[in-house]
Amino acid sequence: MSNHNKLTKENLLALYNDSKSYISDSESHKKAIEFINNNDFPNSKTEDWKNTDIKKITKHNFTIYNNQSYKDKINDTFYIYDLNAIQIVFVNGRFSPINSNIEEINNSNIFVGSIKEGKEKHPNIFKKYYNTTDITNANIFSALNTAYAEDGAFIYLPKNTELEKTVHILYYSDGADTKGLIQNRNLVVAEENTKLEILTSYHALSYDTVLNNTVTEIFLEENSNAKMNIFQGEGEGAFQLNNLHISQQKGSTFESNTATLCGELVRNDLVVNLNGEYCQTNLNGFYLAEKEHIFDNFIKVNHLSANCQSNQLYKGTIDNNAIVSFFSKVYVAPDSQKNDANQSNKNILLSDYAKVYSMPQLEIYADDVSCAHGSTTGQLDKEALFYLRTRGISERIAKTLMLYAFISDVIVKIENKAYKDFLFFLINRRLKQEKIEGLCSHKICPSC
Amino acid sequence: MLKITNLKAEIEGKEILTGINLEIKAGEVHAIMGPNGSGKSTLASVLAGRDIYNVTGGEIEFKGKNLLDLSPEERSREGIFLAFQYPVEIPGVSITNFMRAAVDEHRKHKGLKPMSAGEFLKFMKEKKALVELEAKLEGRAVNQGFSGGEKKKNEVFQMAMLEPTLSVLDETDSGLDIDALKIVANGVNKLKSKDTASIVITHYQRLLDFIVPDFVHVLYNGKIVKSGGKELALELEEKGYEEIKKEADKK
Ligand SMILES: Nc1ncnc2c1ncn2[C@@H]1O[C@H](COP(=O)(O)OP(=O)(O)OP(=O)(O)O)[C@@H](O)[C@H]1O
Ligand SMILES: [Mg+2]
Repeated sequence: MSNHNKLTKENLLALYNDSKSYISDSESHKKAIEFINNNDFPNSKTEDWKNTDIKKITKHNFTIYNNQSYKDKINDTFYIYDLNAIQIVFVNGRFSPINSNIEEINNSNIFVGSIKEGKEKHPNIFKKYYNTTDITNANIFSALNTAYAEDGAFIYLPKNTELEKTVHILYYSDGADTKGLIQNRNLVVAEENTKLEILTSYHALSYDTVLNNTVTEIFLEENSNAKMNIFQGEGEGAFQLNNLHISQQKGSTFESNTATLCGELVRNDLVVNLNGEYCQTNLNGFYLAEKEHIFDNFIKVNHLSANCQSNQLYKGTIDNNAIVSFFSKVYVAPDSQKNDANQSNKNILLSDYAKVYSMPQLEIYADDVSCAHGSTTGQLDKEALFYLRTRGISERIAKTLMLYAFISDVIVKIENKAYKDFLFFLINRRLKQEKIEGLCSHKICPSC
Repeated sequence: MLKITNLKAEIEGKEILTGINLEIKAGEVHAIMGPNGSGKSTLASVLAGRDIYNVTGGEIEFKGKNLLDLSPEERSREGIFLAFQYPVEIPGVSITNFMRAAVDEHRKHKGLKPMSAGEFLKFMKEKKALVELEAKLEGRAVNQGFSGGEKKKNEVFQMAMLEPTLSVLDETDSGLDIDALKIVANGVNKLKSKDTASIVITHYQRLLDFIVPDFVHVLYNGKIVKSGGKELALELEEKGYEEIKKEADKK
């Protein structure tokens, strides 16, 4: 191979050696391969990828982990006090039953498990939903996921059911000395009148360069209600591409809260289609970017029906040389009247070198709509800082108080009290620059 | 307690304080008056350690220490308190959390253990009563959406919480209705002792009826151009600054 230290399409495909797909059927697989063959890695000229320095990723050559389920019991797994969740664990993109705990589901018609297993157990549901969004064609990485992802989570709620406990999906990477490519493929199907809450969290078991390429499709049927909290606390050497597609039907509600705390490059692509009337979607997130972090949030909310509402609130702090992007587009289709859309992005720059690209956009083709968007980027209010210091509060604590308040606006929106308290505790420590080893992420802490 | 000698300060190359001399002893109340823009708030800010002002000359000695060597937070812990002319709004930071952090730091500085949550709330309640601060303010963010008068009361409340040895009240009376003025003045008087001192910056004799000064100084063009007893304030109220200005401009 000519280009040994650089990731190319060819060596990416060669990793899989033309193997069959583990999850996709041959048709989906074939189309995904075709997409890869016909397209290049996104680059600075690709729309929506201008600010994501993909070279950070492609300068590494990745390998894939051997095809084995993780049989070791992970000591001190990532733990949130009082969360009381159904736990499903993946290590290097493969389901690890020994570390999971999915017995306690109240309703036997509900499925929570690995997609490989779910596909066998619910073939019709799988067929009806899997890969029916256009997520495969988002970019080479999502296509690669469709072509070769081996495993991921599958959650299925039949009509009129409810998951009382949160489903906590933990993605660990552990590649001691290998630069591993990890792919997770998730599918969530919530039928009519269902309710669920998911927490996904990303962690590293060793200091490795890993590329975590996750694709998730969520289908919310009429009057279903789903909440999703995303906790990104992988090690400093982690690259994470998180591609999430939500498809909502009439009267359904979706809410996400994305906490991005570490990783060399984290890119979240979030597409929400409001297909039916009276859908509501609330997309919230916060990020604490520092060092050389690149954290990107790309959001697209498509209002395709009347009487829908979407709200976005993303806030973050950017320190050192970190770069953050927030690109969000709200599209309101012709004749989709009485839609209400709000986008807000607020950033605080903590260094002269930190950068923010913030672009909330509206594309509206209906006339009876109410839309508001705003973006602010500034520094910590020096007058306020001085005011706090004149009361005896050190500069560091004063900054913490102000930043804590700034970020809190996003965290208070989380309903799950255990997770919310955990985040408050975590960001307080993180903002004070106190060591929080073992707390926010297993073994590797996002702040140390 | 405080000794200011020939203090000069500038901002953006413009000299604002042009040589201030002032000595304050424990137990004393000094009123500083003077026309708008004469440098009263600048003096207060320099005492509190605001770094946008560049001290170009002179000295400030506070309880034997060189005040200019200390950061704003260290000055506060040493016992200086500034009630702002324009208190700053701090979105999202609750008064309780804010005061908790401040009191903790003050106690740490004195070698005391942090108060328990219960003790702290009790302490806060006492001090609130002192300035008749409405209960509903405490759950709110610092100064955010407060009326002008509420902001001023909140300053005196903070002063009560931190028990300073030298308090600098910068136009704490402005924006207060007559009842609030009495409450605030009462609060300040209750905190007065033989070991503490205050500088009261004001435009009006009215406040000085309640907080009776031992000395009154007139600041003009960055200098103290006249000092006297409490009767000087009455004289100013009657005559205004014209004569003093003329006199000073002659020199
Ligand atoms: N941040 C600043 N930038 C530029 N000029 C300033 C700044 N702060 C104060 N000054 C100037 O310094 C002078 C003194 O201002 P200062 O606020 O100290 O006056 P003051 O005596 O408190 O007036 P007032 O009675 O109106 O409160 C004014 O001319 C003012 O414009
Ligand atoms: Mg003033």
